[in-house]
Amino acid sequence: MRRRETACLARHIGAIATRMAWILLNTLHFSLFESSISVSSPSVCCPFCGLLCDDLEIVREGDGVRLERPACPRASRLFSIPDPGQAMIAGLPISLDEACRSAAIILSGSRRPLIGGLGCDVMGHRAALSLAEKLGGVVDHMHGRAQFRNVRAFQDGGWVTTTLSEVRNRADLIVLAGTDASRYPRFFERCLAPASQFGELTRKVVVLGPALSIPAMDGISVSSIPIDAGRLGELFAVMRARLAGMPARAADVAGVPIEQIEALLADMRAARYGVLVWNAAELDFPHADLTIQSAVNLVKDLNQATRWSGLPLGGDDGGTSAAQTCTWQTGYPLRTAYEIAGPHYEPLLFESDRLLKTGEVDALVWISAFDPERTPPAADCPIVVLGRADMRFARAPDVFIPVAVPGVQHVGFLHRMDAVVALPLTAPASSSLPSVAQVLAIIQGETNHAAA
Amino acid sequence: MLRLKNGRIYDPAHGVDGEVRDLYIEDGRIVAAPGPGARIDRDIDLAGRVVMGGAIDLHTHIGGGKMNIARALLPEDHRQDPVPTSGGMHAGCGHAAPSTWTTGYRYAEMGYTACFEPAMQPINARHTHLEMGDTPMVDKGAYAMLGSDDFFLRMLASGADQRLINDYVGWTLDASQAMAIKVVNPGGISAFKFNARSLDLDEAHPYYRVTPRQVVQALARAVHDLGVAHPLHVHASNLGVPGNADTTLATMAAAEGLPIHLTHIQFHSYGTEGERKFSSEAERIADAINRMSNVSADVGQVLFGQTVTVSGDSMKQYGNHRHASPDKWVVMDIECDSGCGVVPFKYRDKNFVNALQWAIGLELFLRVGDPWRIFLTTDHPNGAPFTSYPHLIRLLMDKRFRDSKLDEINAEAAAHSQLRSLDREYSLYEIAIMTRAAPARSLGLTDRGHLGERAAADIVVYRDDADREAMFAKPEYVFKDGQLIVRDGKVVNVVNGALHVVKPEYDKGIEKPLKDYFDRYMTVRMEHVRVSNEEVCTCGASKLIPHVCKGRAA
Repeated sequence: MRRRETACLARHIGAIATRMAWILLNTLHFSLFESSISVSSPSVCCPFCGLLCDDLEIVREGDGVRLERPACPRASRLFSIPDPGQAMIAGLPISLDEACRSAAIILSGSRRPLIGGLGCDVMGHRAALSLAEKLGGVVDHMHGRAQFRNVRAFQDGGWVTTTLSEVRNRADLIVLAGTDASRYPRFFERCLAPASQFGELTRKVVVLGPALSIPAMDGISVSSIPIDAGRLGELFAVMRARLAGMPARAADVAGVPIEQIEALLADMRAARYGVLVWNAAELDFPHADLTIQSAVNLVKDLNQATRWSGLPLGGDDGGTSAAQTCTWQTGYPLRTAYEIAGPHYEPLLFESDRLLKTGEVDALVWISAFDPERTPPAADCPIVVLGRADMRFARAPDVFIPVAVPGVQHVGFLHRMDAVVALPLTAPASSSLPSVAQVLAIIQGETNHAAA
Repeated sequence: MLRLKNGRIYDPAHGVDGEVRDLYIEDGRIVAAPGPGARIDRDIDLAGRVVMGGAIDLHTHIGGGKMNIARALLPEDHRQDPVPTSGGMHAGCGHAAPSTWTTGYRYAEMGYTACFEPAMQPINARHTHLEMGDTPMVDKGAYAMLGSDDFFLRMLASGADQRLINDYVGWTLDASQAMAIKVVNPGGISAFKFNARSLDLDEAHPYYRVTPRQVVQALARAVHDLGVAHPLHVHASNLGVPGNADTTLATMAAAEGLPIHLTHIQFHSYGTEGERKFSSEAERIADAINRMSNVSADVGQVLFGQTVTVSGDSMKQYGNHRHASPDKWVVMDIECDSGCGVVPFKYRDKNFVNALQWAIGLELFLRVGDPWRIFLTTDHPNGAPFTSYPHLIRLLMDKRFRDSKLDEINAEAAAHSQLRSLDREYSLYEIAIMTRAAPARSLGLTDRGHLGERAAADIVVYRDDADREAMFAKPEYVFKDGQLIVRDGKVVNVVNGALHVVKPEYDKGIEKPLKDYFDRYMTVRMEHVRVSNEEVCTCGASKLIPHVCKGRAA
């Protein structure tokens, strides 16, 4: 009996002690219940690159907005909002209604339109897929060439990947393959510079290729190994062979001395959580999907003994959302045509530029609501553009319809490059301009009349 | 008012076992007989027909990031089952990893009116709701995954008070718009990120030093204290590992009498007997379920053919990758929150292990006495695609058919199994329990899964066919909230379902340490993880149905 009471008391003291430990932990590491936390103005999510940073502070300025912080050149440029713009047919001003009707007439007469660009949010992608389904169209994203380098490697063998917060907290060795991540201005600030929640982390960054613009970061060593991106596949293949216990006979591989490769491989095997980063857009050479495949196979092999993950950079201009939405609605990650028997996936044949060059599509709907510089490709068929109001053209498209910018002028949803995190877009400078989804719905409705 | 006349009613929630009765439907609800002189707008004579509530699947991977990985990974599987645009129905694909549209249509065409996605990662919640919003016909709900997320493990490791854990669990349910809590390989997904390849129930996590047992206990307690109807939904440690039955039994015991649901228990009922060191422990597991009234389970039946396994259990999926067929697989570490693994799989009836898995699942169905505590699932698509349910129902209801299939499987596995000695055949009443009344009760859906007054008019009418597979594959009528949506196994009216969520009470003070944690360590703000009520409908649900929780004092 006494023993039980003692045990009870001990448990009680234990409970108090653990509760205090929790509070102490919070006091030390978190700012805590007792202390107040600073109330900042609500942060907004930036839709202008695949990082989707959601800590931006925006101030209203006249009819528009200005990025207060952080300093990101890309966000700064794209958050400054243009005038409402003007719908046009062949460069001549016209009402929105007339422009939509004109677009519907073009599309109703088309046997197979390409619904391309797809630079918009999930609601826009839903509307684009709905229109493509109705018209028997094909869908592809403006960054389809880069996307499908990844998709082909993925569909052939799968991969092991990670997400941004995992990198931020766990990565002790980051190998950048054929990229210095400079196309993602805040990658280092967001994912590598901050402290890990798992205590002290000594990070090393190794760049395979030129390392021009990697910022200096406290306690992070940066080194680089010069290698042509087109020969990364050779390097990874030799590393895999070495992991499999095969001897290395060459003195160098792709210009990298074998001793340097051995040293890198030793570091990679010693990493607790390694991350291999690539950006498919920068692996711009024939059969780059095979380079990606060799990279992800290396990651797979390294996992036999320690932990490694891949991190494919990308997802600009709504690319991740476009692929995700098309995948859940059709089973396929874009480059899909709506045909009589159902969705038809042909990742090689249904590439935008090829379809336009060969004349296998006879109309183009170009959707580009994030960046005025992403203008439609040259095409011999009629072109309908749903673009930012400040988009300028070398040659006026058949129809131009200015649309609201997602995340600035209208609310919505967008996926980050890792596809796991979908964030809510707000409208800090809401506008009377219609969204992509609204314009596409009007056009789809009008195609009934136009076809009749 | 609609009258369904003369049908044979199976309504286990009210003890109705095949009585001939009329049902009256008005404004989407079942109503009392209106008395003489009432105006009946439409009469349907159902003489000889079997009438049940709409079926409810409480564990089916219908949507979310890892299903989308599975879809993107398997174009060759979709090509076998293209789905054209037709009527008001969207094009898509079917089979192992069907498109969202096709998932909704095909569930409805089998008489299902509600489906619950069991593994929504809170960080992936918005994406999951977008997918479920494009899944038509059926009501939806999702279980939020916890137990390998670092915030929770930090709390547990620092000995946080149970009340704080309850607040965090409450916040997670609220913020991710979830219906229940699931734990997957408790602590193990996190341990894999620290390079552990297995984590047993009483093994310390390599970093936090807490054990899976502690994780299960803290979460089961939180779910209970918050008053969430569905018990903690547990994907136990050691999935698929020969000999894991011991872990499964120990996990049941770890609940210490609190309600606990063991999911896809077939994958957790393995022994190590025999030459191949792989054997059935279905009898021991079933006996334990029969004995422990706090335990419920769904089976996760394996059926033969091509499918794809999708799981939050990155650790065990990594371990299984050498079985991938076709030979490709995906593993992902996710955002200090969870992980996932996608491994295509082909179950072969002539393969000893696969054949025994098939027999173990059936043994579990037949040995668990109480159909209120064992649910019909294939853990879609892990054991088989959900479209194989009618076949599974026939296996349970028809011993001759079952024995004929037993004759076809790997002979050694058939010889090892005691399946042939089990004579039980499920009755229609028992099928109605395990696919309707019991899941509704387990989830706390008071107006679903039954045919009493004021119930939502989710009603299914079958022709009474001796071939139960044919019967359950093609209902004659399906009504969703009183509207006719399926006729003779084909969608005739496209509707969208509601989203069911729980809204427990919790102390919002938890947002202070949580926000600070997110600001310091995450690449997303806490405020943006939260999915608002309004967003759920923008995502596509027809409406949000909040279920109140009656909290129990901690």
